[in-house]
Amino acid sequence: MKILGKQKAVIAILFMLLVMLFTDSNFYTAGNLFNLLEAVSTNAIIAFGVTLAVICKGCDLSVGSVMAMSGIIAIILINGGMHMALAIILAVLSGGLVGFINGFLIVQQKSEAFIITLGMGMLVQGVALLLTNANPVSASNPSFQRISGESWLGIPNIALFMIVLGILTFLLLRFTSFGRNCYALGGDYEVAEHSGINVIKTKWFAFVLTGTFAAVAGVLAASRMNTGLPIAGVEIPLMVNCGVVIGGTSFAGGVGGVPQSFIGIFAMFLLRNCMGMLGIHPNVQMLVLGIMVVLIIALDCYAIKRKKEDV
Amino acid sequence: MIKQSQGARLRIVDFLLEYLVLIAIVALILITAIVSPRFLTVDNFINLMRQFGPLSFVALGMTFIIVGGFIDLSIPGMISLVAMVTLMLVDTIGEIPALIIGLLLGTTMGFINGMILVISGASTQAKALFITFGMSLIYRSIALIITGGFPMNWGTLFEHPMPVTRTLGAGTLGILSHSFILFLFFLAVLFIFQSKTFLGRAIAYTGGNLNAAELGGIPTKRIMIFIYALCGFMTAVGAIVLFSRVSVTVPTVGTFFERDAIMAVVVGGTSLLGGKGSVLRTVMGVSLVILMSNCMNLMGVNTHMQEVVRGAILVLAVWLDHRRHERG
Amino acid sequence: MVKGNEDSESVYSGSEMLYFFMLEKGRMTVDTKKNEVILSIKNVSKSFPGVRALDDVSVAFSRGTVHGVVGENGAGKSTLMKILSGIYTKDAGTVVFDGEEIEHTTPVQSLKRGLSIIYQEFNLVNTLTAGENIFLGRYAELKGMRNIHRKARALLDSIGSTINTNKLVGDLSAAEKQMVEITKALSFDSKLIIMDEPSSSLTADELKRLFVIIDDLRKKGVTIIYISHKLDEIFQLCDMVTIIRDGKIIDTKSIEKLTRSDMIAKMIGREIENEYPERSRCVGETIMEVRDIRTRKLKDISFELKKGEILGFVGLVGAGRTEIVRAIYGADKAKELKIFINEKEVKIKNPRDGKRESIGLLPEDRKLEGLVLPFSVQANITMSSLEGITKFGFIRKAKEKDIAIRQIKNLSIKTPSPNTKAKTLSGGNQQKCIMGRWLEIDPDILILDEPTRGIDVGTKYEIYLLVKKIAEKGGSVIMISSELPEVLAMSNRVLTICEGRISGEFNPEIDSAHDIMDAAIG
Repeated sequence: MKILGKQKAVIAILFMLLVMLFTDSNFYTAGNLFNLLEAVSTNAIIAFGVTLAVICKGCDLSVGSVMAMSGIIAIILINGGMHMALAIILAVLSGGLVGFINGFLIVQQKSEAFIITLGMGMLVQGVALLLTNANPVSASNPSFQRISGESWLGIPNIALFMIVLGILTFLLLRFTSFGRNCYALGGDYEVAEHSGINVIKTKWFAFVLTGTFAAVAGVLAASRMNTGLPIAGVEIPLMVNCGVVIGGTSFAGGVGGVPQSFIGIFAMFLLRNCMGMLGIHPNVQMLVLGIMVVLIIALDCYAIKRKKEDV
Repeated sequence: MIKQSQGARLRIVDFLLEYLVLIAIVALILITAIVSPRFLTVDNFINLMRQFGPLSFVALGMTFIIVGGFIDLSIPGMISLVAMVTLMLVDTIGEIPALIIGLLLGTTMGFINGMILVISGASTQAKALFITFGMSLIYRSIALIITGGFPMNWGTLFEHPMPVTRTLGAGTLGILSHSFILFLFFLAVLFIFQSKTFLGRAIAYTGGNLNAAELGGIPTKRIMIFIYALCGFMTAVGAIVLFSRVSVTVPTVGTFFERDAIMAVVVGGTSLLGGKGSVLRTVMGVSLVILMSNCMNLMGVNTHMQEVVRGAILVLAVWLDHRRHERG
Repeated sequence: MVKGNEDSESVYSGSEMLYFFMLEKGRMTVDTKKNEVILSIKNVSKSFPGVRALDDVSVAFSRGTVHGVVGENGAGKSTLMKILSGIYTKDAGTVVFDGEEIEHTTPVQSLKRGLSIIYQEFNLVNTLTAGENIFLGRYAELKGMRNIHRKARALLDSIGSTINTNKLVGDLSAAEKQMVEITKALSFDSKLIIMDEPSSSLTADELKRLFVIIDDLRKKGVTIIYISHKLDEIFQLCDMVTIIRDGKIIDTKSIEKLTRSDMIAKMIGREIENEYPERSRCVGETIMEVRDIRTRKLKDISFELKKGEILGFVGLVGAGRTEIVRAIYGADKAKELKIFINEKEVKIKNPRDGKRESIGLLPEDRKLEGLVLPFSVQANITMSSLEGITKFGFIRKAKEKDIAIRQIKNLSIKTPSPNTKAKTLSGGNQQKCIMGRWLEIDPDILILDEPTRGIDVGTKYEIYLLVKKIAEKGGSVIMISSELPEVLAMSNRVLTICEGRISGEFNPEIDSAHDIMDAAIG
């Protein structure tokens, strides 16, 4: 029961796969799985970054806007005649910069992460709108689209990026002192501080990485559609943060990791994909998604409450 | 001697932190009046008053949630569902009953939010954040499903003339618009409620220390449900004011209202940590936000630039909230 | 008067036998380096706005000794420790540690020099494993996780602990956490370990083991600074004692030259004839009967409470004392529970029901469960009585103010004004605010869970007097305390609680402390 409780997302995935097995024989084609993987990839990359923030007992609601902004910056710079690689690097750095500011306000000034990143999200969204005057922009250089558009051995590039970044983040969290220190300060900030961990630098850097990952995802998404959309909406950051939590990375800080976050995000998108395949109307899909978010978080709270009452 | 002057300096800093919003409002009025002569005209005053629209009602409701130590992101969903259901019912059951049902619906949705939080035992802001976000998705998708995603047009589409809605949207009493009077009414009632009644005080205890309040015999669970229901009610009022002003209402109306309401509350100086705050502060916050955009409009600042500035203001307000808290 | 003295004397000798065995060997061992000073503090001062926390403090600690530090709350003990560890910086004076003068330091630098502090609320990360905690912040120096666990294993073995290094610290017991803390200190090759109230959450057995380890460390030449409120432990363990009062060192003496009452007198600055007021004797008819409380932890708890009685609950921390009273008050759910008040069955599902049935609870943790710290003293006092002074839901402000002023006067709460924030008060005065909250309602049954924890001796006595007064006015009191002498001196009757059961009922005036403790340990 304890193991089941911790792996809700896995159970949900298995359940949905089972449903699809009986209802739609087209589901298990390599093509659909790759489509799904491609759809998951952008969000999973954001989620890896958000995982860092959540382990450090934070969260990041600015990732959606950062994603929009970085894609736009990349396209504008490329259209302006800049070398593609340089443009992409600058776009990714812009995300890092937002993360840097987030980190400064949250860590140095000890502010509440969710509200600071909400505000930064607004600000960055404004920047994205300013840059494009609220119109979508497309890249004139066709090679930009190739970055995530092509595939290798049948695996879409964007999925490869996701896998590589996922493994890197996993190693970073598992085997480097930075990663272990993230867990320590998420578990108990003061203890970590008194144990000689440079908590401020560590947490700050975690937020920089979160912003950077969101920017990478933004560039990849822009490349996939060959378009930079200025409006990201509130949904993406909340979905990604929800997915991370559903996977088992707790807001209490100090627990979780890359595999858990991936499973959480995967479960959410599998659900979307399943509903799409079953021909469910998008509005109903939104309803189901909402119910799922409420149910999973509420059940999680309920389990904690029961555990407390029982003792 | 040294200590005394230090103390005096500390008091000045505290004073500045405490009344920063007020100072900012006065400064903003002065600057705008100097830069733009149009600012001090009757027209602009009426325009400003009109800005105390849907958001200010929602922000009043949100104040109680934040003072109680929680947060509500379900506002966009509640606004669209209330607006859609009310407008759909006007034809069949008449205007007044439809409005009443709209208000009841808003209250019920808030009640459901509170019930879910209480039953699941979600006692932190972060948990409330995600649960109410999910609820927002649910309410909005219901609004989309029942309308099929089509906008509602009460100006021309309906047989019913909707006199009350029309007066609320456009009517004035002297130079005060009806919606502004309605706002003042709710402000007065909620201010008295918050500062003079037991329930108002109990909300502050709950936000100040949930465990201590519970053990001290304060009905914290009922209070949680109550503040969410109150916020739902105020959101429903906001939704009605919102559709009273425009003839066409789309089902996705109300996006970003939760964000702007939280911003108005926090900018006003109500602490996100719970326990401290007042509707008067929220009014200051709302005023600041309105004056800010009015000022920027008069100066011809790009709308997207305004978004950037609003984000910066929110970040600044949160930062100040923590400064204040650390000073004691 | 005389009676009280006798009580405390007998309690002392009783618990002495119970808690631990003597470590005579350790005390007798004369290390060759024993007189070498490891840490000397000279003329150290530290001021905070409005308070002189440390005033020209000078003291020396010798190598290989256990040096007790005692003093009332707010006397300056923790300020001194925080200066040593580097959390605060001193205003004046010199600190010489191991022959090196230390001007500025940080907690980490202190650790690396060999000065560790083990705080009462452990400095461990619950979500990391024991091994990771021991080497927290040093992963880069000790390449690889396996290495960490191997080294941690070796260190734990050296103090005879069998904790699995891969276990999460959050899953360990308090005693195990303490072992991890000690191991952490040893991993730094500490020459001086400061222990702040180390016994506060240990069982008697665990305490025994701790004493053995401390003795072992002493033999290895490590200096231990042992801070405790429990004078018994100081007498058991320490070679030297330093007494601090009002930021000044009152005395530093070897333990043989001090008696218990000397020590108390020096701590509070005046001779008090007795630590406890005379026992109240006004037990009447049964007011409350509790039958068969059953939860996951509690089994078949049944007892009676009489009018005007002070009923003491004795048991180890974690035995279920707090759980019993919380279930009665409605703060926790119980699978089965029958409560009869004045022979009528009552249903108590939440604290509001408890309050309605005229029960009051002073919770164990006053900061987390008792006070709203950022609120005023007045708001904290009136919290529970506010509902009663409303008219159509509106609070009558004048009455509210009356209540606050009345209770501040009644309990002599030291606060500049009723509008002062509760968090600025001292622990004892904070506790009095919560007492005042309940006294205003004047419940028939008042439950006090650790009412004197972390409170200075003077205020403790005031609280004892209050409790006595409540009983004399016909109120019934359930008193939980980890300090055995206190419960024994105050109560009319004592229930011992052991592993979720009531293991005995005693009359503290007749039965010996030894028997009572025996039943509590089980």
